[in-house]
Amino acid sequence: MISDLLFRLKSLLRRHHAEGELDEELRFHFERHVEKYVRSGMPRGEALRRARLEFGGLDRAKEECRDARGVRWIETLLQDTRFGLRMLRKSPGFTAVAILTLGLGIGANTAIFSVVYAALLRPLPYAQPDRLFTLGEVRSQQELGSDSQNENWSASYPDYLDWARQSKAFESIAGFDADGFVMKGAGDPQVVSAAEATTNFFHTLGVQPFLGRDFAVGEDIAAGPKVAILTYQFWRTQFGGDPNVLGRTMQLDANSVSIIGVLPKEFEFAPRGGAQFWVPIHIEQEQVTRRNLRWMRVVARLSPGTTVTQAVAEMGTIRSRLSAAYPQEDGKIQVVMIPLRERIVGQVRPLLLVLFGAVGFVLLIACANVANLFMARANGRRVEFVLRAALGAGRGRRISQLLVESLMLAAAGAALGFLVAHWGTSLLIGAIPKPLLNSMPFLRDAHANAFVFAFLCAATIFAALAFGLAPALQISHQRMSDALKDEARGSSGAGGTRLRDACVVAEIAFCLVLLVGAGLMVKSLSALLHRNPGFDARNLLTFSVNLPENAYPKGADGVRFDRDFANRVSSLPGILGIASNSVIPISGDNNTIRFVIEGQPVTLGQEDESSINDVSNAYFPVMKIPLVAGRFFNDADDSASALKHVIVNQIWVTRYLHGENPVGKRIKFTYSPTQPYREIVGVVGDTTGAALDGPDDPALFVPFSQAGDTYFNYIVRTAGDPALATAAIREALRRIDPQLMMVRPLTMDQIIAESPSVFLRRYPSYLIGSFAGLALILAAVGLYGLISYSVSQRTRELGIRIALGAQRRDVLRLVMGEGARLAIIGVVIGVAAALALTQLLRSLLFGVSAFDPATLAAVCCVIAIVAMAACYAPARRAMGVDPMTALRCE
Amino acid sequence: MANQRIELPQGTLDLLILRTIALEPQHGWAISERLQRISSDALRIQQGSLYPALHRLERRGWIKARWGTSENNRRAKYYELTKIGRKQLEIEKDAWERLIAAVAQVLGTA
Repeated sequence: MISDLLFRLKSLLRRHHAEGELDEELRFHFERHVEKYVRSGMPRGEALRRARLEFGGLDRAKEECRDARGVRWIETLLQDTRFGLRMLRKSPGFTAVAILTLGLGIGANTAIFSVVYAALLRPLPYAQPDRLFTLGEVRSQQELGSDSQNENWSASYPDYLDWARQSKAFESIAGFDADGFVMKGAGDPQVVSAAEATTNFFHTLGVQPFLGRDFAVGEDIAAGPKVAILTYQFWRTQFGGDPNVLGRTMQLDANSVSIIGVLPKEFEFAPRGGAQFWVPIHIEQEQVTRRNLRWMRVVARLSPGTTVTQAVAEMGTIRSRLSAAYPQEDGKIQVVMIPLRERIVGQVRPLLLVLFGAVGFVLLIACANVANLFMARANGRRVEFVLRAALGAGRGRRISQLLVESLMLAAAGAALGFLVAHWGTSLLIGAIPKPLLNSMPFLRDAHANAFVFAFLCAATIFAALAFGLAPALQISHQRMSDALKDEARGSSGAGGTRLRDACVVAEIAFCLVLLVGAGLMVKSLSALLHRNPGFDARNLLTFSVNLPENAYPKGADGVRFDRDFANRVSSLPGILGIASNSVIPISGDNNTIRFVIEGQPVTLGQEDESSINDVSNAYFPVMKIPLVAGRFFNDADDSASALKHVIVNQIWVTRYLHGENPVGKRIKFTYSPTQPYREIVGVVGDTTGAALDGPDDPALFVPFSQAGDTYFNYIVRTAGDPALATAAIREALRRIDPQLMMVRPLTMDQIIAESPSVFLRRYPSYLIGSFAGLALILAAVGLYGLISYSVSQRTRELGIRIALGAQRRDVLRLVMGEGARLAIIGVVIGVAAALALTQLLRSLLFGVSAFDPATLAAVCCVIAIVAMAACYAPARRAMGVDPMTALRCE
Repeated sequence: MANQRIELPQGTLDLLILRTIALEPQHGWAISERLQRISSDALRIQQGSLYPALHRLERRGWIKARWGTSENNRRAKYYELTKIGRKQLEIEKDAWERLIAAVAQVLGTA
């Protein structure tokens, strides 16, 4: 076998030499033959003639020798390649469209699939990641499938401890929460985001630090943190990848924290994707002891051999035990157990699947278009094939010629596709707002997937070959003379035409589905961005300030700072007002509280729960939330009487007071028996809750009691662009205390733009929109090609019609009618498909139903216009047919 | 009748070529002449099949080619058996004889 290959290779490399030898060898034979006849007494002329006769075709003998040496196919290939290149250069339009179609189809699909793979298919970087579950506590009153994924993923610390003690189904249960510090070192202090976790957290995930050690039992102290484990990225950027980093310290707030480990490079934890380092949980008395303060997120690993069902059953038992023991806190609590992956990607999964489906349509259209192009081209070359067949080219030879041409196009298309896939993947990732990308760290290193790329190349090329070869094969089934005659008459095989019609119809239908999808997404995005959130979102700047406890130890210090800072900011030019609150709207945060209404007795633990926001007096005027009844908070509420007053919104009144007059009613919070009754002093307009796409949220507002607070959220209303006010406010803050930092300054517009609810519409709007645009172009090209071809094939017929007195108008109608027929069939099929498929979009739609007649009508109009435009150029050409030329050209 | 040509069964040409050059290296023309003479003109090998067969055998490594000088002092390509070729000749000869015997037996009894 090897020797055989070597022989062929040698023959190939010494091709010219071998040719010479073959020549010489055969000539020797021939001459000896002639000599023989001459010797036997034949005249030389006669001897030559006989020898030649017996010898047969010299070239054929040579050809067969070359064949026998096994190099002929390579020579054929070179020949075909040269010829193919010439053919492709001769029709640059066809070549460009085919390569572009292949490249975009393959590239876009690879890019999308690569992202889908990174998010949905690639295993999470933990040991046996499918054994990891999240546990959260919800009150049964909350719907389990509530909008905000994180709302039902929190537990109280005492409950967590009980789970960990009692559970056998989980071998390890860990908790974590967001954390953040002001880090001082060389240069300006910086705000760094971090995460705190129980000491068994990394053990539960099955992750080992790549340098140093894991947290040890007992390091989770309230006075902490004292130790930290760095992420690989933070270690590289902040410590220059110092291998001796262990034992070095970081100054975090007032603590000196020593570095005990570095996490592996591939470590990621989406729920705290932005964390630069991890510290042991360091929590205060209230968080440790309050069983109804649910703040910690819990991850648990199933014990070996335990099934999910067993674990659910066991958690149920533990829950009932806790409910019985603590009816006040846990009476109405349910435990939700969701796989970790589901928790992480649950929100983006529908989006990705929809994009995947949409781009799949682009691939189908690309395939149909390529098939169409190749069929048209092959049809147009029937004469050539028949001639080649007549001149002795075997069937194999004809196929190989087409194959080579198709493969050259495919290679060029694949190369373009590779670039598109590469850029496309980066573009897809780059288009995700940073905070959201932090929550999807698995996308950061998504790259064009080689396997998918290869698969798509194969699929697309297969389509090209299958359709391109059909006409070449057909010829061999026909009698050549028939084919030639047929060709002279200028008609094409009916079968081929029907297939091409079907391709164009399919393209139009797919295109319509994509356009409808894009239309619905754009409409949703627009509805969302134009939704009135209940306050004026323009010209608002939000940020936070964290007062270090060692410098501001007493509650009065915080009060003084707040007053001083608010005064300074208010006096800045262009600032219309400043307010503080505990929860910034639409930021995804939410606090809830349980309450009872005076005169509505409730069983212990079964109270209602609603959102609560601590707001300063200026909050409603600054946010421009309207007053509906009663009054806003005033300075009198700031003092000792603050505990006595509360404001509610309209939907709260509707839900809990059933239309009774709210002002003057009294409610009591139930987290502590010492809580007093508070009087409702005012009713304000409704605002959206934690997410812009959620329903209006029943909410309670209490006066912002600065006493004891060290963390302030501020909302500033500006006259002009709020982002421009940042510098002046930062300067004001620095004047008060140089060590204070403006944490996360964001305009409300930014918060909205980067919120998941907007991203989930904007991203697919852009993408499906581009896919639809691409599809529209491809479909138009397909239709144009088909009609042009048909016009060129019918030149003679049209000429006769015109000669017999047909008006140009009739010809126009004839040609346009043909296009219109295809477009209408495509639209009908497309509308049916769209009605079925847009149902899958439903979870992403906002303010528009999956069946939206306006979108459907608009899309049909667009398709009709584009289809007619695509047919118009060939129709014009048909009108211009000169009957004399048309008849003579035969 | 002596001139009546026989169609060679598939694969026998290879056997005949191998056998013809088994004694000494030969060039193509000599091989065809010799086959014709030994078979009393019953076998006439066309160049169109002889040379492709030679090249095919060479590719298989059963024979090898060498340029030499012919009896009339001209450059000619001589083919000789390789070691594998010699073994192959034995195998093919054996197979052929068994085929002949089997065919003869069938013809004899029928």
